[in-house]
Amino acid sequence: MKYLKLIFRNVGRNRLRSLLTVLVTVVLVFVVTLVWSVLWLLDQVTTEKSQNFSAMVTERWAIPSRLPFSYADPLSRGAAHKPGDIQPLDSMTWQFYGGTLDAKNFTRENIIFGIACEPEKLATMMDGLNDLPAEQESQLHEDIAQLKANRQGVNLGHNHLDATNKRIGERLKLTGIGNFKGLDLEFEIVGTFPAGRYDTLAAFNRDYYNNELDAYAARNNGRKHPLAERSLNLMVLKVPDRAAFTRLASQIESSPEFSNPAIKCETMASGISSMLESFRDLIWGMRWLLAPACLVTILLVIANAISISVRERRLELAVLKVLGFRPYQLLILVLGESLLLGSVAGLISAGLTYGIINWGLGGISFPIGFFDRFMIPTAALWWGPAIGGLASLLGSFLPAWSARGVKAANVFSKVA
Amino acid sequence: MILVLFAIAVAIPLVLWSIGKIPLSYNLRNLTLRWKTTVMTALAFTAVIALLTVMMAFVNGMKKMTEGTGQPGNVLILADGATDETFSNLNVGDLTEIENLPEVARQNGRPMASRETLLVVNQLTPDPAGGYKRRFLQLRGIEDPQLSARVHGLRLLSGGTWFSEAGVQEASAPESKSDEAAPLIQAVLGEGVAHELGRARSEEELAEAKNRDRLDVGDTFLLGERRWVVVGVIDSAGSTFNSEIWAKRSLAAAMFGKDTYTTLVLQTEGAATAKQFKKFLAEDYKKAAVNAQVETEYYKSLSETTAQFSYAIGFIAVVMSIGGIFGVMNTMFAAISQRMGDIGVLRLLGYARWQILVSFLLESMVIALVGGLLGCILGSLSNGWTANSIVGGQGGGKLVVLQLAVNADIIATGLFLTLLMGLLGGLLPALSAMRLKPLDALR
Amino acid sequence: MNLIAGLDTPSQGEIWVGDQLISTMTEGQLASWRTRNIGFIFQFYHLLPVLTAYENVELPLLLLPLSAAQRKQQVTTILELVGLADRMYHRPGQLSGGQQQRVGIARAIVTDPTAIMADEPTGDLDARAAEEILNLLCMLRESLHKTIIMVTHDPRAAQRTHRLLHLEKGLLVEQVNA
Repeated sequence: MKYLKLIFRNVGRNRLRSLLTVLVTVVLVFVVTLVWSVLWLLDQVTTEKSQNFSAMVTERWAIPSRLPFSYADPLSRGAAHKPGDIQPLDSMTWQFYGGTLDAKNFTRENIIFGIACEPEKLATMMDGLNDLPAEQESQLHEDIAQLKANRQGVNLGHNHLDATNKRIGERLKLTGIGNFKGLDLEFEIVGTFPAGRYDTLAAFNRDYYNNELDAYAARNNGRKHPLAERSLNLMVLKVPDRAAFTRLASQIESSPEFSNPAIKCETMASGISSMLESFRDLIWGMRWLLAPACLVTILLVIANAISISVRERRLELAVLKVLGFRPYQLLILVLGESLLLGSVAGLISAGLTYGIINWGLGGISFPIGFFDRFMIPTAALWWGPAIGGLASLLGSFLPAWSARGVKAANVFSKVA
Repeated sequence: MILVLFAIAVAIPLVLWSIGKIPLSYNLRNLTLRWKTTVMTALAFTAVIALLTVMMAFVNGMKKMTEGTGQPGNVLILADGATDETFSNLNVGDLTEIENLPEVARQNGRPMASRETLLVVNQLTPDPAGGYKRRFLQLRGIEDPQLSARVHGLRLLSGGTWFSEAGVQEASAPESKSDEAAPLIQAVLGEGVAHELGRARSEEELAEAKNRDRLDVGDTFLLGERRWVVVGVIDSAGSTFNSEIWAKRSLAAAMFGKDTYTTLVLQTEGAATAKQFKKFLAEDYKKAAVNAQVETEYYKSLSETTAQFSYAIGFIAVVMSIGGIFGVMNTMFAAISQRMGDIGVLRLLGYARWQILVSFLLESMVIALVGGLLGCILGSLSNGWTANSIVGGQGGGKLVVLQLAVNADIIATGLFLTLLMGLLGGLLPALSAMRLKPLDALR
Repeated sequence: MNLIAGLDTPSQGEIWVGDQLISTMTEGQLASWRTRNIGFIFQFYHLLPVLTAYENVELPLLLLPLSAAQRKQQVTTILELVGLADRMYHRPGQLSGGQQQRVGIARAIVTDPTAIMADEPTGDLDARAAEEILNLLCMLRESLHKTIIMVTHDPRAAQRTHRLLHLEKGLLVEQVNA
């Protein structure tokens, strides 16, 4: 490629300008990568899957969803009564609990929100924990085994371990806050979760939780804890495909045994979608204002740099024409220069962003709904060069076209 | 503080202009000659400043909403340990005791106390993309609407009334499609939620609607398997109440399974009494444990999320301004290298180095100013846009419909930033111009 | 040329221009001195392309404590002197080479300096324009008594001078004009 040498030389001709242009592109591609990573994950979890996905059963109208624990059993069978009714492949109960390490002075750091569930379901029913690489998977199984063995065990995500300054093996005493006032639980930390999505999760045995609810009544002359009647917050059911989901949903929603309170059965994707509705405009702004503004700025800066470069080299370009270069070759020369700058800058930016954010910072901390951290997806590694490349092609098109049209006659000096 | 920065930012170019001996027309004409470059550089500033203005308007809207809510003379009571209304469960016995304390204002012998139950419920709405989606709405169950309205200092827009004692009204026969004409539950809407609910109407409904912008008195909507009718719209003047639906507590609570009160709002004589009362309840009152706050303080604490947003915006502003700065730096370096002859001549004619510096600094600041000003104007167009958001954190949070608000501070910040970018971006090139040796420049 | 104009400092010795010792002046003093005492004319004119002929000539005057009215008078007088009164508001791009050089000359004399440095003033001009310029320079010498120090390769220009010096092997050699 004879152009390549010329292109490299030209880029090196004004190192400062090339450097500045690259820097701007790196910085702005970084912002766009951050924004798109967040949007990408949100899009992923709200896209309806077609195979082997989860459905969520919650209270039909009110938030927070509170169901009687007695619903758990029939729901795990999908409210199947008649022959021909289908059952879910698997199920998991979720009972929320929130407590603090310091009852007198609670801060963000010493509050832990967790779920009471059946330990073995953590490996099968949690999105992202059911397809781990081998090493992490075996570690998870070990942690879960510990949880099963120790009734008062708890698996804490990394954030909680860091925030509370505790390690595996230590004990934890939580005083219930808010709705959970009156329920004080004691735990021993027996495991954790792989770093990433579940850094803020805490999971413990539901048997222990249910027992504690009963114990509360015993301690208070038979008066039940306000949550006792409805301690089940939601149930996750696994279905093989959409057809099965539709049947299961209609089985559950039409069953008379779930009338008070009424329940609804929706896909996980749809459930998360609803929750994100409140952030609809914020997400819109990120997608259609923030990212485009950055893209436009990249385009302008590259276009500016290239057009300056072309303007300074008009005479040289005229000489090239005299030597026999065709117009389209001049076009390619300029476009090539710009493409080189843009895509290299984009690649550097994507690489740095990926490395620093994922390995250095452990993800983007952007608390929206119950999402806490967003990792940069590997797809971002090609977003960077793509953005840089595309912006440079678009931005430098006009200057490149003008370079193409330089008149060879310019090479001769003007008559005074 | 912002005005001080803004004044400095404006003063710098003015001072430079007055002490510079090289005419400004020299810079302006060069900018016009190279208009394509000037425009591209300026537009980069426009993009940055416009975006910044919109983001600041959003945060300002959130702030105005939370700070505009609540009465300084009211005390808000939640259950002990509850940081959010939705997680609060109050005991009726305790409420009666507290209401009758002497600090609580009375009217006609009754304590000015509003007992409320805040519920968050979801509603199925048709999705423009097909199918249905759910959105979450704030429903406040109220015992005595007139009393609560007085406690909160809220009025209805003209043409509306509060809901009746029973809280329901008969469905007029032709409207009702179902066989059993269940009575319509009466509701009073805040303007914001009326606007949100109004958006879900179909084209035909909009054509017949009384008010295209939002639901109005007489319009109905579905919530929780019952049909509700709007009897009034709250003139909530930019408070979080404008995102709430008010209805009879006994009906709402029963429908959605929450039989305790979440909130008690008490009116006292004034701000000073409120503070004292809060202190008393928090420290000395032993009969029951409650979380008492002065109402305005409670709502202000919800703006914790705005602080988070502000940091994010600051971060984005700094990063994007790098784009503007390096962009103008590129332009100015190129301009100077092209005009080296001019610089040499000026030095030879006797113009001092610092005058060259000043001239080129001014040039870059002019580009920044023009671009930034356009950005402020574009960004200001967002004033009055409505947006959904959540205020307050810690697992709960109020869903609000807010209006973006552009104010003088925001414009001043935008102009300050653009001038700063112009100054920083133009500094290095101008310094290099200053250091040129005249004869080298003329070669 | 650099040394006389105060753009370079000598490694050894002193430089006097008229009765001023310029080799010890500071940069600021030199700048001020240059405005008032030396005018420059270049082979490629070096006019500011975005300024009109009038504005180009006015440039050095902006550094002097003159009022706008005084400047106007000075500039118009000088432009009439060089024969460009009718092209005062044209930009260099609209003028021929010879006309641009005349603007250059006007700019060089507008502050009424004692000496004029001319660096190849006819280098970029055709025979006729060169002749006009040389006539103008001679007129400045005869009528206005300006000292003109010129560097040139043009034999016609060399012929019109009073003293002729050239550099030979690093030494300045005088040659008497025929």
